[in-house]
Amino acid sequence: MEYTTVIGLEVHAELNTATKIYCGCKNAFGSEVNSNCCPICTGLPGTLPTLNEKVVDYAIKMGHALNCTIHNVCKQDRKNYFYPDLPKGYQISQFDIPLCENGFVEVMLDDEGTTKKIGVTRIHIEEDAGKLIHDDSFSGSLVDLNRCGVPLIEIVSEPDMRSSAEAKAYLDTIKAILGTIGISDCKMQEGSIRCDINVSVMPKGSDTFGTRCEMKNVNTFSGAVRAIEYEAKRQIEILEAGGEIHQETRRWDDMKGESFLLRSKEDAQDYRYFPEPDLLTIMVDPAHVEELKASLPELPNAKLKRYMKDFGLPRFDANLLVENPEKAELFEAAAALKSCQPKNISNWLNGDVSRLLNEKNINLSDTKLTAQNLARMIQLIESGEISNAAGKTVIEEILFTDKSADEVVKEKGLAQISDTSALEAIVKSVLEANGKAVEDYKKGKTNVVGFLVGQCMRASKGQGNPGIFKDLIVKAIETI
Amino acid sequence: MQIDIKHVAKLARLRIEDDQLEKFEEQMQDILGMVENLPEISGSEFGVDPSCPMQLRKDEITPSLRRDEVLKNAPEVKAGCVVVPKTVEQ
Amino acid sequence: MELYTKSAAELSRMLRDKSCSATEIAQSVFSRIDAVEDKVKAYITLTRDSAMDQAKAVDELLAKGESLSPLAGIPVAVKDNICTKDILTTCASKMLYNFVPPYNATVMEKLLAAHTVMPGKLNMDEFAMGSSCENSRFFKTHNPHNLNYVPGGSSGGSSAAVASGMATLALGSDTGGSIREPAAYCGIVGLKPTYGSVSRYGLVAFASSLDQIGPMGRTVEDVAMLYNVLCGHDKMDATSAYREYPDFTANLGEGVKGLTIGVPAEYYGEGVDEEVKTAVHAAIKELEAAGATVKEISLPSTQYALSAYYIIASAEASSNLARFDGVKYGYRAENYNGLIDMYERTRSEGFGDEVKRRIMLGTFVLSSGYYDAYYKRAKLLQMRIAQEFAEAFQSCDLLITPTAPSTAFKIGENVDDPLKMYAADICTINVNIAGLPGLNIPCGKGANGLPIGMQLIGPKFSEATLLKTGACYEKIVGGFGPIPEIRA
Repeated sequence: MEYTTVIGLEVHAELNTATKIYCGCKNAFGSEVNSNCCPICTGLPGTLPTLNEKVVDYAIKMGHALNCTIHNVCKQDRKNYFYPDLPKGYQISQFDIPLCENGFVEVMLDDEGTTKKIGVTRIHIEEDAGKLIHDDSFSGSLVDLNRCGVPLIEIVSEPDMRSSAEAKAYLDTIKAILGTIGISDCKMQEGSIRCDINVSVMPKGSDTFGTRCEMKNVNTFSGAVRAIEYEAKRQIEILEAGGEIHQETRRWDDMKGESFLLRSKEDAQDYRYFPEPDLLTIMVDPAHVEELKASLPELPNAKLKRYMKDFGLPRFDANLLVENPEKAELFEAAAALKSCQPKNISNWLNGDVSRLLNEKNINLSDTKLTAQNLARMIQLIESGEISNAAGKTVIEEILFTDKSADEVVKEKGLAQISDTSALEAIVKSVLEANGKAVEDYKKGKTNVVGFLVGQCMRASKGQGNPGIFKDLIVKAIETI
Repeated sequence: MQIDIKHVAKLARLRIEDDQLEKFEEQMQDILGMVENLPEISGSEFGVDPSCPMQLRKDEITPSLRRDEVLKNAPEVKAGCVVVPKTVEQ
Repeated sequence: MELYTKSAAELSRMLRDKSCSATEIAQSVFSRIDAVEDKVKAYITLTRDSAMDQAKAVDELLAKGESLSPLAGIPVAVKDNICTKDILTTCASKMLYNFVPPYNATVMEKLLAAHTVMPGKLNMDEFAMGSSCENSRFFKTHNPHNLNYVPGGSSGGSSAAVASGMATLALGSDTGGSIREPAAYCGIVGLKPTYGSVSRYGLVAFASSLDQIGPMGRTVEDVAMLYNVLCGHDKMDATSAYREYPDFTANLGEGVKGLTIGVPAEYYGEGVDEEVKTAVHAAIKELEAAGATVKEISLPSTQYALSAYYIIASAEASSNLARFDGVKYGYRAENYNGLIDMYERTRSEGFGDEVKRRIMLGTFVLSSGYYDAYYKRAKLLQMRIAQEFAEAFQSCDLLITPTAPSTAFKIGENVDDPLKMYAADICTINVNIAGLPGLNIPCGKGANGLPIGMQLIGPKFSEATLLKTGACYEKIVGGFGPIPEIRA
């Protein structure tokens, strides 16, 4: 039988406020253990929470971005459970009246720009828990309370996704929106976005959902894709074998590529939610709610459509830019100079620039790259003044030094050799050194020409034009 | 009113010794018994009171505690952290 | 006369006219402590050295001619559920037997800023749960009027210390009557302020929506002086009210002419001893004679308050006390096998029976399937009770009721019967449920020689009215009597 997978997602995003949600401690990642803590966030007896106004603003912004109804009068609730990373024995969250509710987001599914509307059930604010450090060298676990009280929004989707690809598109869109409106750093490697996934399967054509299982501990979007595919397959195998699915919570282990049972429905936790008595009613002036809406920048989907239409970028390329607001901003600034092809700007940003950033694990804003320099370098390539290969050298320099593209080209002698006689000399020596390849070519294996071009490029230290080399090589072999 | 006293104790992370269970249950029954005669009251919303809104805190950093102050009351400390028995994923 | 017997107001005047020093006051109070603390047992921690330092500092400042708060140099002892930086704060629980807060409660900061002198931290029922001080995990406190009797609770250490002259003033906390009932049992004045008027920051929470810190003293004026220091908005407490407060000592002499006193019949029912009713009625008559109008009223939902109270208070307590898990501070069981076992042993060994009973009750009423039947119903009832009071205050300026249904009971008399123990709270809990101010004023003695108290209840933020009514009565009866001789 064929099955349809039904997916709902709960995304937890840490907000990039200056302070924590209920105290004035610094909201920072990577500090020394237990150094961003005070009596309040460590849950000392007698302490009380005070709600950070920025957290409310940020959540409302996200609510607007996801077309939600904003409950400008709402409250917070306690979610009670015991765990060593939760110092108060309860998490302050929101239960029956979330700040934002009943929204949707359009996600783009293919290069033709086909979109699908995914429902957003709610967005609420809550506090993050601390971190447990497991060390095999001794029998206990260590508790670092720095993350306690870091503000989170939880974005809960409707079970509207039908494949891992749709889920991935949704997650990419959410991440891009968080980044674009500037409320979260979205650093997956720092755990600033995490998700729980609800998966069920039903026979194709059915409109009755199957029993769902929840998977926790999914920390990357690629992990989410793997987890969904694994879980759907697991459930289908059970059904095919005549079994039935039990509602349960599972833990995804991305290293092993498997999920494990955490608890069954019978063991479901009883969180004993009740209104947080230490906080009064949250009431946001409706005018302020509207102000926050007006303050939103262009949202990723609109931007995506614009990049595809105005700059002729393929969706994949455009999406890579839109997902990263810093890149998108630089792209637009460089394109606005109108000195080079937007597609080439996009290629460089998504290609070598991204690779270099990843290698060094830094952000674009940590570099010295300017729109002027990037556009100038691409212009030099487009005009044939430097080769594409030389561009790879230039980009490293203009990313990490204050030099201009022209200075780098000059200093490193990267200007393309346009003197044909110099190129012919290189071709001659390469052909002499590679007699076997020349023979092969003559026997009809004409694809060795690529190898020979490569050798010429190397000999010219990248300053030759590969197209010209190719012509010269072919001409030279045929005249031998 | 039947109270699953062992379940409640588990939720509350309390260990009630067997010889105490009955006494606890009886006393809880007594207290809940008083509640049985509460009148049914209509009305749904409590928890929000727009007449009494909360003033929010400005997003401004205030000093944290020194780490030795954070940890000074902890029963067991190692490597700048509080030590607990080995945890498994929740 | 010994300095420890004097009121804060008197001592304040004496300090200013240099007829005594703050050091002499502190010495007198500590000599009283040395003489009777063995019998009364009000203090968990004595902070003699720091208190003497504080007193000395006041003397030096006064010598320099600095103008200090009226309470400068006055000994104010503090209930042990109020966090004091670098001073043990136990909540009278094994759970916090070694807890030394790294911060001060807001009220402590205010006391320090007013240059009061803190002799020590006072005994109480464990985590403020109880009406007799017998639930302290360390020792029982005795009633200074008769050592065989309880001092009331949970602020029993506070009431006993003030009544016996071991402190001029004290801070208590009141969730269901924990300032007023011990004040009544010990024959002193105790104010449970309007919810939101005194910061709760640093008060170890029992039931967050009901808890309030308040002043206890031997005269109405003293209580008004301390309340002047305590009240005010605090940005650390989101539930604290935004408003300006008057000088509560300013209108104490105004009298009661023109005030309408409501007498709610429900507070004078079967459960209340005749001698208590008689004493309170007599006091009301005095006030009527002094110019107040007296009016019979009815608060029919009173009968449900006890149930609503135990549900709401226990529910909040079950959550507030979840942080005591042996991880970050306080007691941790010595032997355990894994995390869950550590939690369960720590909490079972660390908490006493009454605390466990309320945590269990609170956990149950919040648990899945019971929330609507219990917690939600209680919260709705709370709104109705508050509404009834609000209606009563349309025609009354204040209400007068007994504070407790009887005088203090004997130590050990009610320990095995929680319901009977809870009955001591029937007159006071409504005030917390509705967030109102309530003031205990001594009004005579029972057949056993122990004090009787009446409770003055007003609308929110009507402390000034309650205090001036109390002061008027105090003047009529010529004060609330001398510090008792300590005997069994």
